[in-house]
Amino acid sequence: MSEKEAEELLLELKEKAELMVDLAYSSVLYDNKEIAEEVYELEDFVDALNEELQKLAIKDVKSGELELNEGLAIIQLGSCSEAIADAARDIADVELRDVELHPVLRESIMEADEVFVRVRVAEDSVLTDKSIGEVKLASKTGMWIIAIKRNGKWIYDPNKYMKIMEGDVLFCKGTREGMEHFIALAKGEEKEI
Amino acid sequence: MKVPRWKKAEFEEIEYEPKSIRELLKEMKNISELIVDLAYSAILFNSKEIAEEVRYLEVRMDKLNYDIRITAMLAARNTEDAEKMAGILQIAQASNTISNAAGDMVKLLAYKLNHPILPHLIKESDEIIRKMSIDEKSSAVNKTISELRISSETGVRILAIRRKSRWIYAPKGSVVLKKGDILICIGPEEGMNQLRELLKGKIEVLE
Repeated sequence: MSEKEAEELLLELKEKAELMVDLAYSSVLYDNKEIAEEVYELEDFVDALNEELQKLAIKDVKSGELELNEGLAIIQLGSCSEAIADAARDIADVELRDVELHPVLRESIMEADEVFVRVRVAEDSVLTDKSIGEVKLASKTGMWIIAIKRNGKWIYDPNKYMKIMEGDVLFCKGTREGMEHFIALAKGEEKEI
Repeated sequence: MKVPRWKKAEFEEIEYEPKSIRELLKEMKNISELIVDLAYSAILFNSKEIAEEVRYLEVRMDKLNYDIRITAMLAARNTEDAEKMAGILQIAQASNTISNAAGDMVKLLAYKLNHPILPHLIKESDEIIRKMSIDEKSSAVNKTISELRISSETGVRILAIRRKSRWIYAPKGSVVLKKGDILICIGPEEGMNQLRELLKGKIEVLE
């Protein structure tokens, strides 16, 4: 059933758009051009996804599987997600253009309700050699990983099967409450997850 | 017909209030994240009341965007300042774009479709979303979220709290609830009903 397919595409669009916003803010916070470039690349991907979604919706309306208004709603939802992705690109643009950043910018990102953290995984950390799902990172600490830098390579939006390795630099987002506990876990100072 | 809250605020006169750029940007960033969450939830759960909160946040964001422009212009004394402010305004504008996109999204709920826009996704979720206010006689008044054991007893997660015109996004366990707070919650229906009883003052504790 392609109606279901359209919903799955929409869900993926939403997740990618949200990831882009998170990555864009952390690129500014850590003055990191590589992350900002990834946001640009994701933007192309989101455009392609949206186009696919639009075609699918039109096809379904044509075949009578979707009513006109339903098809239109799906197309408009896709465009809204794309607008969010574009906004994320505009944030990353500030980082890429070498606009000199006002210190207030970083302060306001750091002080917001949701925080960003960058931490290196120590050899004796309880997270080392475990998968993200295994340690139930998000539910136990309230932090989730948006990107990993491993041996100079980047892994964006890792899934739960991804193993955390010694020396990984984790870029995470989450609640202020879970932050310290999470940092201590990654550094190996705290063993209880 | 009752005029919705966001409509009343929509074309309020922009008056300059001295506020720091840092505070303004912080609030804009918070809203830009909350509003996307709420907009998708409104669509997914076909909820008009959450849609109304989205519209309200969108209006608030428009005002903040004016405020930050005024403040930035007043703060720039030379070219160097102006350059730094340009980066700030670019990010503020992006937050505003995000909130406008979220606002457009919830307008779709006015289409009067025969079924939810995303019928399959909604079927797979047994959670519901609700907006609830805290009655002054509720035992939850002046207690923290963790003291009340809301998530462990009911499985309900508080997405956000609206307190007068301020928002607390993804509130921590240490946040103290006040009378009149509006809670936006997501969770199983049974837990939601239990929480509603507590917030109305019909039951004393969750168990």
